[in-house]
Amino acid sequence: MSRWIGLAARLVVGAVWVVAGTLKLPDPAATVRAVRAYQLLPEAVVPTIGHLLPVAEVVLGLLLLVGLLTRGAAVASTLLMLAFVIGISAAWARGLQIECGCFGGGGAAGLDADPTAAYPWDIARDLALAAASAWLVVRPRTPLALDSVLLAPLPQPERPTR
Amino acid sequence: MTDKRSPAERVAQLRLDEQTAARRRNILVVAAVVALVVVVTVVGLVVQGRRDSTGGPVSMTPTGVTSDYGVVLGAKDAPHKVVVYEDFQCPICNEFEKATSEKVQAAIKAGKISVEYRMVSFLDRVSKNAYSSRAANASLAVLHVAGPAAFQKFHTMLFENQPAEGTAGPDNAELVDDAVRAGADRGEVEKLIDDGAYDEWVANATDAMSQHGVNGTPSVSVDGVMAKSPAEGLDALLKVV
Repeated sequence: MSRWIGLAARLVVGAVWVVAGTLKLPDPAATVRAVRAYQLLPEAVVPTIGHLLPVAEVVLGLLLLVGLLTRGAAVASTLLMLAFVIGISAAWARGLQIECGCFGGGGAAGLDADPTAAYPWDIARDLALAAASAWLVVRPRTPLALDSVLLAPLPQPERPTR
Repeated sequence: MTDKRSPAERVAQLRLDEQTAARRRNILVVAAVVALVVVVTVVGLVVQGRRDSTGGPVSMTPTGVTSDYGVVLGAKDAPHKVVVYEDFQCPICNEFEKATSEKVQAAIKAGKISVEYRMVSFLDRVSKNAYSSRAANASLAVLHVAGPAAFQKFHTMLFENQPAEGTAGPDNAELVDDAVRAGADRGEVEKLIDDGAYDEWVANATDAMSQHGVNGTPSVSVDGVMAKSPAEGLDALLKVV
C-alpha cells in the first residue's frame, strides 16, 4: 500500500514541478523579476537564480516522474518547496503585495485584486507538496520507477524461510 | 594449489563478490545520471541567460527620456510631480487612464502637475501578438520622432485600442497609422516600429521597475510617495489634479 502512495506522491509532485517550470521557461526576465520581488536574495545572485529556477524545476519534475534518483530528487524537492514556503511567508509578514510567480509571470501582474489573498493558499499547497516529497525521502522505493530498472538490487542477507 | 576453503566458505565468498560488483555498478549508474542531470541543468541555465536580453547593450535610446526610463509631460517646475508605471496591455492601467486621462491632461496644461510615464512591458504572455512590447516600442518611436505632445496623444490611443487579454491587438501597420495621426512622420516612425528599435530599451525599463521595488501596474507615485495599490494611487492623483 505505502508503495502506491509513494507512486502517487512521485507523479503528483513531479507533474507540478514540470508544469511550473515549463510555464516559467518562455520568459526568463519575468522569473528574474519574480525572484527579485521577494526581496530576500542579494541582487548579485537574483538573475542567476531566476534563470536557474525553471530549469531546475523541470529537471527535478522529470526525475520524479520517471522515478530516477528518487531519494535525491525528493530531498531537493522538499527543500525547494520549504524555501518557497519561507519566501511567501516572509512576503506576507512584511506586507509585500506580489504575485507568487509560482506558475510563471509573477512579481508583476494586473493588481486588480489584493494579491496577498492568495498567500495562505500558496503556502498550504507548497506545504502539502513538501510533505509528499518528504514521504519519498523516507520511502523512495515505488512501483514503476526507473531506479528499480537501472539499479541492481543488492543481494540481501538470507532470511530464514518459514 | 588446492583451495582449502570449505564449500560453504566458497559460497559466502561468491555472494560477497556478487554484492561488491552490484554495489560498484550502482555507484557508476548513479554517477552517470547525476553527471547527466548536472550537464542538462547547466546547459539550461546558460540558454535561459542568453534568452534574457535584460541588461544587454541598448542599440537605440529614444530622445527625450529620463535616466529612470520615463517620459516627462508638463512643466519641470510644476508643484506636483507624478510618476506612473504602465503597461499598454494592462487592463487596470486602461481603467486608470479612462478615469484620469482628461483631468491629468488638463492639469498638465495648466502647469499644476508634471507626469513621468514609465512604460514597461511584461504582459506579452497574455497577448496573441505581443501588443505589450510592440505598443511600448511604438510609443517611444513616436516620442523620438515627434516629441512629448505626440507621445501623449499616441499614449491615449494605445490604451483606447487595448485588446482584451488573450486576443491580438493592432498590428504594426495599424500602429504606424495611429502614430502618423498623432503627429509622427510616417517614413521615420514606420522603420522604428517595424524594427522594434526600442525593444531592448523597454526590456531594461521593465527590469528597472522591478529594481525600484515596483511589482505591478499601474503603480502611481505623487510627490515621491509610492501608492500601495492602484486604488490608492488613483485617489492620490485625483487630489492633485
